[in-house]
Amino acid sequence: MKPPPFAYARAGSLEEALDLLAEGSEDVKALAGGQSLVPALSFRLVRPSHLVDIDGIAGLDEIRESDGRLSIGALARHAALARLERAGSWGALAAAARAIGHDAIRVRGTLGGSLAHADPAAELPVVALALDAELLLASRGGRRTVAAADFFLGPFTTALAPGELLVETTFAAPPAGARTAFCEFATRTGDFALACVCVGVGPGWARIAVGGVGATPVRAPQAEALLAASGADAVEEAAATAGRELEVYGDRTANEGRRRDLVRTLTRRALAEALGSA
Amino acid sequence: MSLIGTDIRRSEDRPLLTGTATFVGDLWREGQLWARVVRSYSPHGILNGIDIDAARESKGVVDVITAADVPDARIPIRLPFAETPQATLALQPLLARDRVRFVGEAVAVVVAEDPYLAEDAAELVVLDLEELDPVADTRTALGAPALHEELGSNVVNVFPMAYGGDVDGAFAAASVVVTDTLRVPRNAGTPLETRGVLADVDESGRLVVWGAAKVKHFNRDVLAGLLELPPERIVLVEGNVGGGFGVRGEFYPEDFLIPFLVIRLGRPVKWIEDRREHFVAANHSREQEHELELAVSADGALLAFRDRFRVDIGAYVRTQGVLMPLITLQQLVGPYAWGAFELDASAVLTNKTPAGTFRAPGVTEATFVRERMIDRAAAELGIDPIELRRRNLIPGNSMPFRFEFGNGAPPIVYDSGDFPAIFAALLERAGYEELRAEQRRALAEGRRVGIGISVFTEMGGIGPWEHARIVPLADGRFCVQCGIASLGQGVQTALAQIAGDQLGVPFDAIEIDHTDTDTVPMGFGAFASRSTVLAGNAIALAAQDLKEKAGDGPLDAARLAAEDIVGEGRFEKEAPSFSFGANLSVVEIDPETGSVHVVKHVVAFDVGRAVNPTLLRGQLAGGAAQGIAGALWEELPYDDDAQPLVTSFVDYLMPTAEDLPPIDVVVLEFPTAGNPLGLKGGGEAGVAGAPAAVANAVADALGEAGAGVNELPLSAARVRALLGSG
Repeated sequence: MKPPPFAYARAGSLEEALDLLAEGSEDVKALAGGQSLVPALSFRLVRPSHLVDIDGIAGLDEIRESDGRLSIGALARHAALARLERAGSWGALAAAARAIGHDAIRVRGTLGGSLAHADPAAELPVVALALDAELLLASRGGRRTVAAADFFLGPFTTALAPGELLVETTFAAPPAGARTAFCEFATRTGDFALACVCVGVGPGWARIAVGGVGATPVRAPQAEALLAASGADAVEEAAATAGRELEVYGDRTANEGRRRDLVRTLTRRALAEALGSA
Repeated sequence: MSLIGTDIRRSEDRPLLTGTATFVGDLWREGQLWARVVRSYSPHGILNGIDIDAARESKGVVDVITAADVPDARIPIRLPFAETPQATLALQPLLARDRVRFVGEAVAVVVAEDPYLAEDAAELVVLDLEELDPVADTRTALGAPALHEELGSNVVNVFPMAYGGDVDGAFAAASVVVTDTLRVPRNAGTPLETRGVLADVDESGRLVVWGAAKVKHFNRDVLAGLLELPPERIVLVEGNVGGGFGVRGEFYPEDFLIPFLVIRLGRPVKWIEDRREHFVAANHSREQEHELELAVSADGALLAFRDRFRVDIGAYVRTQGVLMPLITLQQLVGPYAWGAFELDASAVLTNKTPAGTFRAPGVTEATFVRERMIDRAAAELGIDPIELRRRNLIPGNSMPFRFEFGNGAPPIVYDSGDFPAIFAALLERAGYEELRAEQRRALAEGRRVGIGISVFTEMGGIGPWEHARIVPLADGRFCVQCGIASLGQGVQTALAQIAGDQLGVPFDAIEIDHTDTDTVPMGFGAFASRSTVLAGNAIALAAQDLKEKAGDGPLDAARLAAEDIVGEGRFEKEAPSFSFGANLSVVEIDPETGSVHVVKHVVAFDVGRAVNPTLLRGQLAGGAAQGIAGALWEELPYDDDAQPLVTSFVDYLMPTAEDLPPIDVVVLEFPTAGNPLGLKGGGEAGVAGAPAAVANAVADALGEAGAGVNELPLSAARVRALLGSG
């Protein structure tokens, strides 16, 4: 469990990081908090030729709220997200961050790292999808914005092109009075979720995104439609629909039926929490 | 005041808490090389060749060895019990020779200048393998070609055991017969410090091996035999050890390979096992399948039981032989006054990691299967499970109680204790009646709360002997040498209490020395809850000897040191002693997810005499935590092709403190007459009954569906499935 050889460079600034990423060809990986990449290196599951350490770049961990939009720098730690207000619009983000690992992981792991790593069972990609996050990607050639819905392409696979770095994630302002919630089921405290659900509910607005059940986080459109139309009255039906409508995979730890069962339960619990009836 | 029975703080803790403790990973020798073991990725195959050319050419590589370079020897059984000679036909070679038999089997070793380069080179070793059909479970093994051709079968041993009269008649006369197949999965002791070996030759030319634990003296002698060196030319040194649990410290191939490389290369060599290796190379344990039948009368008398069970011992017979089925048999009977029983155990080979013991071996598995069936019988009879147990526990006035087997087989003897009194103490401490009332209130609110009980007899304090030597020191203290091992259990503190007590000197005047085979030339080691019992009594005898030699008056260490007077004592123990314990667990199930939350867990245990009650409570609570882990989470599954599915802590679901309840401990003292100090072993008892109690609590919470609780772990998915998808 020692990594294979790689070249390492620590970037002092964003510009330097983008230069290093551009030079490193396709075999380069950005290293932030290292909570996923370092174990993957030790298991020799990934063998990058170059690592660009962005962890020391000043200012890349800022969290700003303006016009109801929440912009979060790539290096913002899970622990910082967990301190966001626990109820209301960003409740789901804080709850998801608190569900990640343990303290030692949360003070190192970053939002940017979690989204770019795109583990199908990770918490934060589900929140990004549910709450219409926009991801700002930078490279030496310029900047572009990608919606979360277009960012996650498959397990550990994203829209990031070679030489690109995720620098900021912006969550759109939910409708006034909207509330969000996040629920997951993990075997032990701090484990990756067997299934997790992020919901948002407001007047005429509904979001249900599910993680841990397929290659990427997915929305549950039929359940959302039921909820948008009927609000609190549709909770049971929306939960049951979410449990039915998605493509769900099964494995040794949870077969397909088990995952559908969990999606239904977690959706109902998350909706109950968001609607204040938990 | 007597030092025995007092809560002295652990003398082991200061270096551990201040970071000055030394583990084998902390050690470094000038010029040391690093070894990386190349392991089989295949569970079963003919090994036609190994290509090591690319590895040899890799950066920083000093040497690569395969079976062709090492003696064609097998690692012997440490404690032969009732093995037939067949067991020795399935011993593990030092490196796989001609055939690989499990994923993780050592096939080659790469030695390089640093551990990274060694791992890089290890990837370049290519095995020329002709795959054979893998045997993934004991049922398949019975009909499959023999893994070890000389053995001719995959069954190493079959052990029958019968007691009492007419079993068939008892079943015919029974009002209630319960039958089930129960399974205990593979688990492992999983110490947080993995194994490690560092070896070097010292200035006097002796081979020094660091990283020893548990059974240094046996390992020294095995190593001496394999290297063809006199034992006195080898020193095994035990440093701090990050947990043993039965796994750490047995003789594994690496315990030969690293010292062998030191002699071959003339340089120190270090090997630190990584976690992924540990999960496939170090001993697994526990995997058993039982077919059990219980016969019970209408008034709840346990008439008879039958059990036919198979233990999956993996691909080789290792140092603990076929102890696992044997000690399961010894502890299956438990604390009940059975009329008759008929048992049959077999040790079966499969293409999986070889098995050894894991803290509370045999008793944990036996207690789970028996106590589940007792609850099943109670449910059939419609009586409270504690009532069925009360009616059948061997009464205190029947002590000593013997199960005789005839034909020269050793009897099972319960020499002391009062099982009903200990059981009553558990129920009183837990507040059983109030818990049942709370459960009724919870059920009325629609909550799924269950209460589970288990009782067990634990075999411990296994001999054959331990030796102690008390050396008075010029500074006024006494150095006590004995051949046990410290694995974190606090044995140095407990033994110093006994020594101080027996010598009539303060605790601080005692130094316990057990750490190397040089100053302590003989000993048996730390297993079977024996260290305090065996070494404690040996120390008592050595103290007696020293006092007699010293003559009248207070002991003056400095004077005795000047006169070169030492005390010697050897305590021999022919039969193991049995103790009794009981557990109560309260669980609540989340019916929607199937998740089980242990709300409360109580352990009651008769330790004979508690040398240090605080240490003992810690041992019992820690053991219970490991037992709860086995009940709910930990498992080492394999797929149908005998590939291990769990090789890291991502999937081996060891709980953290956040997942565990507070654990309450009741220590009871019914001294045994089997040794002068009256001690019984206490290091493992916390584990023994925990899975059974948790499983019974889960079954209780499930109501009628609880009859389906016959397999561990009780994962959320399994519990949810038992509840039905309603």
